[in-house]
Amino acid sequence: MSRIAEAILRDGTKLPYVVTDNPPSGTMKHTYFSPDKSYVVQFFNDADMGRNMYTRDRISAIIGKYNPTVPEEKGGAKGNTKKLAEYFSGLFCWPVEIVVAPEFGIVCPAYPQNYFFDENSANVSGLNLKGKDKKSRWFTSSVRKYLNNAEFGNFKSMLKISILLARAVRRMHSAGLAHSDLSGNNVLIDPKTGGCVVIDIDSLVVPGIYPPEVAGTKGYIAPEVVDSAKYPYGDKRRCQPCIETDLHSMAVLIYEYLFKRHPLEGKMRFPQFEAEEEDNLLMGKYALFIENPDDTRNRPDDLIIKVSDFGEYVEKLCLQAFVDGLHDPKKRPTAMDWERGLIKTWEMLYPCENRECGAEWFILYDEKNPVCPYCHSRIKSRQIVKFLFKKEINGRKGQWVQYGETVVYDKMPLYAWHVYSDIFDDEKADRDEIAYIVKNNDKWFLVNKKANGMRSEDGRIIPIGESVLLKNGDFFRISENNNGSLIEVSIRQG
Amino acid sequence: MADFNRRLPVYLLIDCSGSMRGERIEAVKQGIRSLVAELRSDPQALETAYLSVITFSSTAKQVEKLTELMLFEEPEFVTEGATMFGRALQLLIDCINTEVRKSTETQKGDWKPLVFILTDGSPSDIPDFKRCAEILKNMPIANIVACAAGADAKTEYLKMITDNVLMMNSLSAGDMAKFFAWVSSSIKMTSNKVDLNKGIVIPPADSNGFQFVE
Repeated sequence: MSRIAEAILRDGTKLPYVVTDNPPSGTMKHTYFSPDKSYVVQFFNDADMGRNMYTRDRISAIIGKYNPTVPEEKGGAKGNTKKLAEYFSGLFCWPVEIVVAPEFGIVCPAYPQNYFFDENSANVSGLNLKGKDKKSRWFTSSVRKYLNNAEFGNFKSMLKISILLARAVRRMHSAGLAHSDLSGNNVLIDPKTGGCVVIDIDSLVVPGIYPPEVAGTKGYIAPEVVDSAKYPYGDKRRCQPCIETDLHSMAVLIYEYLFKRHPLEGKMRFPQFEAEEEDNLLMGKYALFIENPDDTRNRPDDLIIKVSDFGEYVEKLCLQAFVDGLHDPKKRPTAMDWERGLIKTWEMLYPCENRECGAEWFILYDEKNPVCPYCHSRIKSRQIVKFLFKKEINGRKGQWVQYGETVVYDKMPLYAWHVYSDIFDDEKADRDEIAYIVKNNDKWFLVNKKANGMRSEDGRIIPIGESVLLKNGDFFRISENNNGSLIEVSIRQG
Repeated sequence: MADFNRRLPVYLLIDCSGSMRGERIEAVKQGIRSLVAELRSDPQALETAYLSVITFSSTAKQVEKLTELMLFEEPEFVTEGATMFGRALQLLIDCINTEVRKSTETQKGDWKPLVFILTDGSPSDIPDFKRCAEILKNMPIANIVACAAGADAKTEYLKMITDNVLMMNSLSAGDMAKFFAWVSSSIKMTSNKVDLNKGIVIPPADSNGFQFVE
């Protein structure tokens, strides 16, 4: 049975919502949809939450001056443009309004349809997932086995999701906000399209406003929080959720996306303790990375894909997060570190030539041994093409220094961040394809799609729609504009 | 990858005495169906929660052994006779002792079990009931929630087992649906969240329209 009720906003606006028996509910809130399902109205399970002045202040700040999904001119975060607001609307399900009656609550946009399972998502009868949201946990834990293969995407889409999560968290942290409960339940992902959306934003820790007592989600709570939970609320020794604890939760999520396993759940045991206490030790005081190079007590016997299989950046970030920073929060890589390192890793993506390979893509970091770690197939052409990006040193005309590189593959698109040294692959960058690669009869070509002033090695202008043959040692520029990178072609036999 | 999962054992103790016959037991069956469907759709609950059903009438029977959610099949509920509640508690104690796994060097031990009891009467075997209620107090159980349903249910006996006693005025399909929805959120919350102080979190009942007995 359902009926339509009205939520009254601060300015008196009335929003209709559909009241149902047993609405979907999380640990903090329960949710009702609007008649057209374009937004949701959420109320707190504990009605006292809403009577609390701090909660109201915190949520007003989240909706207003800290909101990256609304442009500044419309009351959103400072410096937020329309374009940025649009971009971040895709990464967050950010509350947009406060409900004052019939009780305190919030209004959030509904997330796009691709974050809901459909009737074909499960591969077993007796499991009806239609309309359920795609919590990360479905894709990273043992219950994966119940999902249809079509749901999983590939390694590239999981890496993209990792980058987007790092970017979303970086955006929150740069404003001083901590999510405080990042987990496999609060980040929805769609591996099919490579998208992610962070939800349950209302438990954010806002600077200067009393933080909420969030219990946290099993497996994602930072070790220092687990270990200090023995102290009562208010005790100074008790660690509170903050940006550093988010960095642990986020690292766990990214590790799960890339490796489909938990970084701290290995074979170490303390059987003399009861399950609850043992778990507190394994996730808290004695937490140990399953891939710790110096202490292998927690290493599973069947560890096939390892951190080193995705190149130096992933390896370094994981060791920093789960070895150096596991018990030393200040040493954890920041969300910006993760975003940058993962993008450098993205530039080493290479399509696996084995059509049966489920991963479809791998990280080609070792030119001498270009092998997919999933299916062990080696690339057939044995020819590895890379672009080395160089920029002019400030104040020294004609002197160039290398600042980045990318592995080149057939049909690879090139974007503004490949063309200009001052553009970074982030929310500000223009995402139009500028040029692309074509491989034909073992020869490699660069095709100009929309660059004005692209020049070949010998200085010839390459008009839009035409291509240039790439040879080892060639230097060329895609744009003559200021900050147009100088690209060196490297072709090696792998 | 080896299976490192801890299980969350959940025991449902269902009164199947004669008075539960007809609509009441149908409402329970429907409730358990929705409970299983709801838990299956939560990844963490699906991963960790294991369900067992013990029924009690003139005797007590474990009609469904502790089973993972995807393999759970609806048991048969035969309603007849008296309310041998004490025997059901004895069976619960035996099941917990044999089914709940302890930690070993190679295997993670199970979480402490959750127990949900539903009755519409009072025990016919009071001495057994009292003896087992005492034993249960010292068992490694995370939480016992007992629900007294209908006008004849006696909360004073339930209070001997646990502090968490719920009152439900009727056993209508609607009330039963609410009760099982609440059981489902308790299980979901226990499998997802840790209240690091108490070890277990139970959602408030008042938003579901029934109340804990003080």
